[in-house]
Amino acid sequence: MSAYQASWSDIWRFAMREMRGGLAGFRVFIACLALGVAAIAAVGGVTQGILDQLNIKGQEILGGDVDIRLNQRTATDTEFDYLIQNSEQLTRVMRLRAMARAEESGGRTLVELKAVEDAYPLYGDLVLKTDDKETGDQQSTVFEKHDGAWSAAIEETLLSRLKVDVGDTLAVGDTRYQIRAVIEKEPDKSNEGFQLGPTLMVPYASMEETGLIRLGSLIRHHYRLRLAPSVNIDTWLTDLNTALPEAGWRIRDRSNGAPGIRRFIDQMGMFLTLVGLTALTVGGVGVGNAVRGYLDTRTETIATFKVLGADGSTVFRIYLTQIALIAAMSIVLGLILGSLAPLFVSEALREVLPVAPAFTLYPVQLALAATYGALTTAIFALWPLARARDIPAARLFRQLVTPDARWPHRRFVFATVAAILGIVGLAVGMAENKTLAAGFVAAAIGAFILLRAAAVLIAWAAKRTPRLNNPLARIAIANLHRPGAATAAVVLSLGLGLTLFAALAAIEHNMSSEVRERIPNEAPAFFFVDIQPFELEEFKEKVLSVPGARDLQTVPSLRGPVLAVGGIPSEEIDADPEEAWVLRGDRGLTYSATLPEGNKLVKGDWWPEDYSGPPLISLEVEAARGIGAEIGDTITVGVLGNEIEATIANLREVDWGTFGFNFVIVFAPGTLENAPHTHMATVKAQGPVEKAVFQTVTDAYPGVSVVRMKEVLSSVNDVLSQISSAVRVTAIVTIVAGVLVLAGAMAAGRRARVYDSVVLKVLGATRGNVLTAYMIEYALLGFITGLIALALGTVAAWFVITEVFEGDWVTPVGTMTLTISGAILVTVGFGLVLTWRILGVKAGRVLSTA
Amino acid sequence: MSLPSEAGQVHILRGVSLDIPEGQSVGIVGPSGSGKSTLMAVMTGLDKATDGRVHVAGQDITDLDEDSLALFRRENVGIVLQAFRLIPTMTALENVAVPLELAGRKGAFERAEAELKAVGLGHRLSHYPAQLSGGEQQRVALARAIAPEPTRLFADEPTGNLDTKTGAQVIDIMMDLHAKRGMTLILITHDLDLAARCQRMIEMRDGEIAGPQPEAIAAQ
Repeated sequence: MSAYQASWSDIWRFAMREMRGGLAGFRVFIACLALGVAAIAAVGGVTQGILDQLNIKGQEILGGDVDIRLNQRTATDTEFDYLIQNSEQLTRVMRLRAMARAEESGGRTLVELKAVEDAYPLYGDLVLKTDDKETGDQQSTVFEKHDGAWSAAIEETLLSRLKVDVGDTLAVGDTRYQIRAVIEKEPDKSNEGFQLGPTLMVPYASMEETGLIRLGSLIRHHYRLRLAPSVNIDTWLTDLNTALPEAGWRIRDRSNGAPGIRRFIDQMGMFLTLVGLTALTVGGVGVGNAVRGYLDTRTETIATFKVLGADGSTVFRIYLTQIALIAAMSIVLGLILGSLAPLFVSEALREVLPVAPAFTLYPVQLALAATYGALTTAIFALWPLARARDIPAARLFRQLVTPDARWPHRRFVFATVAAILGIVGLAVGMAENKTLAAGFVAAAIGAFILLRAAAVLIAWAAKRTPRLNNPLARIAIANLHRPGAATAAVVLSLGLGLTLFAALAAIEHNMSSEVRERIPNEAPAFFFVDIQPFELEEFKEKVLSVPGARDLQTVPSLRGPVLAVGGIPSEEIDADPEEAWVLRGDRGLTYSATLPEGNKLVKGDWWPEDYSGPPLISLEVEAARGIGAEIGDTITVGVLGNEIEATIANLREVDWGTFGFNFVIVFAPGTLENAPHTHMATVKAQGPVEKAVFQTVTDAYPGVSVVRMKEVLSSVNDVLSQISSAVRVTAIVTIVAGVLVLAGAMAAGRRARVYDSVVLKVLGATRGNVLTAYMIEYALLGFITGLIALALGTVAAWFVITEVFEGDWVTPVGTMTLTISGAILVTVGFGLVLTWRILGVKAGRVLSTA
Repeated sequence: MSLPSEAGQVHILRGVSLDIPEGQSVGIVGPSGSGKSTLMAVMTGLDKATDGRVHVAGQDITDLDEDSLALFRRENVGIVLQAFRLIPTMTALENVAVPLELAGRKGAFERAEAELKAVGLGHRLSHYPAQLSGGEQQRVALARAIAPEPTRLFADEPTGNLDTKTGAQVIDIMMDLHAKRGMTLILITHDLDLAARCQRMIEMRDGEIAGPQPEAIAAQ
């Protein structure tokens, strides 16, 4: 017996001949796959584009090749000389929060005071607008002293906040500044991180007169350096640390400017990729349906091939080739659409993004999106292909009477499982936060399985429903479980997208409620910063003298980085990603004789109130776990250039939601008291009391910065809204994919629907009867799907809010209503369109060709 | 042969025992549902008997798997079906070439052209099934069935979808080919006159062979 195996050229020939029928049945396949791949490619391209721009503009964002920062002190002569001698150019920048008072309008507000020298910025342009003229070359004239008065440039928001204009005067500390310009572009702004107030830019030389430079004041002194082009930065940094190991400064170079933004972009990119993957998964259902539907139409041809001597492998390869070709076309289409995304995103999110993403092709991101697309196709197409391969020729003629529910050969089961593991592995492996990614993927898979089970359950329940008297309702319920019913496709495709939507909407609702309602009711009205020790007692008296002001709390405050844990330098510690922030940047430090309010001792003992021994600290328990520290270990912190090694005496649980003063590190008495430091305070006040407290403090203490909780919450709310918009857009992609799949599934069942409706009409049903029956069916399906999606989405959101964010749960009634009604509207809407077209088909035509 | 269904087992063939010598033409007749087509499916390996043995062309095909049955068919049998079963997206020439290509035969398209000419369709090589009449489609199916030069030709109601005149034309061609090439011909039909043109006629009823014994009736 001949064992000739069809060659791939034979297969290609058969496949191409077979495709002469056109791709009409693959519209949904192409749309679903292209949409999912486009979403992932777009997210990847935009994310990488932003990160690339951050790299390219690293010098501009950082403000130099190297930025050296000292907190609460300036560089010593030795340090300064070293920096000058080892750079081409150096410029100093001083940053602190301060209160600005408008002399003309009387307005007062917290500003980010930024004092710059003439050489600023070393890279990029500071663009100022004076008297409606915009130019980049006015800096030297703007910051000149005019008529003996210092000049300042302000961020545009200050104009409305203080009700001032160019030419008006602002008082900061003991100094007056005339507003000479509005800042149009601040090149290093994105490196500054989250700001509590708008920028007020002043000449460096004016700072001495403000009276704000006091011992312990929270001032950040930056030394921005331009290095010679030939200098190797890593070598330069090594030499610096060798020469001045005790300096205790924070150093950033042009390759790692704006780390906060990079982390944010990375995390947003990761999250949006996962959401895009969900869209692709939903699209995969459409792919599977299309392949199944296509192979159903090819039943006779496949049978004929088998009759003529084609073995299963040949049949499988022919149709695999076709599916692979269509998938490749869809993926390419998706990649093209996704590559264009940066163009639209730049324009749409110009106000939000720190830099505009470059419009360029990113091969790695495109390859990743293509791989996801290919794996998704494999997952959803292999099964129906394998079943077509394995079914005996004669059985194909008996499919509908005795449906074959066999599993395909196990090698195809393994291949499908391998493809699933491939996607999961890629998604988790490529993610910055693998735990979060794994959780998301697990939740998506879980939702998929639950929705699939729900679809089976719905059909099972529909089959066992007692016979209803109303024939239309009876037909509707029978349609839910009959062979070829759209139940599974509707529940899966729409259900997954709606679940994601419901979860995201519920999370957003809870977070917004937290920011808009709970926090304002419970949080203090003000945080006061930079209260000098000698001012403290008088400050307390003055604030409490305002009728209605209550709950005044004060704490001593310093700042400094964690330099080492147990003798191991911070940069060498492999901290838990959730707690790694403890070792990054400066930490707030304080000392206390008693356990702070809102804190709970969980391990070890608190020190006596009059303790005066070697340095001891109390560490927050999660931070301790994250950095691998235990009681008895040492932690070294840098304070004003000095290293202090302290032993961990106990661990505390902190309730971060109390809005009081919460510190990760609390020193025992006897260590920090003599270090220059300031105090912070909070007070609760509402309505006119709030205004009165603000007036009292800003009148008496121009050096004290006043942070208004309302303004902070407003900024946070703005950021949350922008994040929500981005997330919602991606979630909508998932819903669009679900709608496409739904449309495809309904269209696939059209032939059977046409036949049914014709037979019903022959038997005496009116068009209204048929329409009613189908509308009941679709409404029922939509309602059940919406309910399931709502339940799954709400549970997921509840878990995230209560377990991950440790917040209080608020039931989002609006979201619930929207989810269910949306589901019903979509299914009924599509059903209506389909049914209307079915009712228009002439009975005679159908019956004569049946 | 029995098939499962939701309503219980369906017995299609009940103890059929049949022996067909090489080169013979056999007409299998019987009413609708008598099991004729199923018998042919079992003999060609399109379906599997649930009991008993099936030997065709010196091979016991009873326990062969699907792929082995496909290979068996490729080498030994040609099948003509009532509904033609041409592949709609392929031309007449391509349809006829398919079994030759599957068998890896060289010169598949030349051979296919020759067979189409033999059935009088040399002028329809590049036409698609939708562009052919019923009779022409069945002749293409016949050409496809004999192109690999099978030793056995099975035809299941080959004239069922044709008018009388066209059907007669197709049968004439089939008989002519049988005579010229000496292949065994098994013709499934409900038409007694058609079956009578064969050297032997077997009647089936309710899944069993009924009527005259295998060696009894000679062809007209």
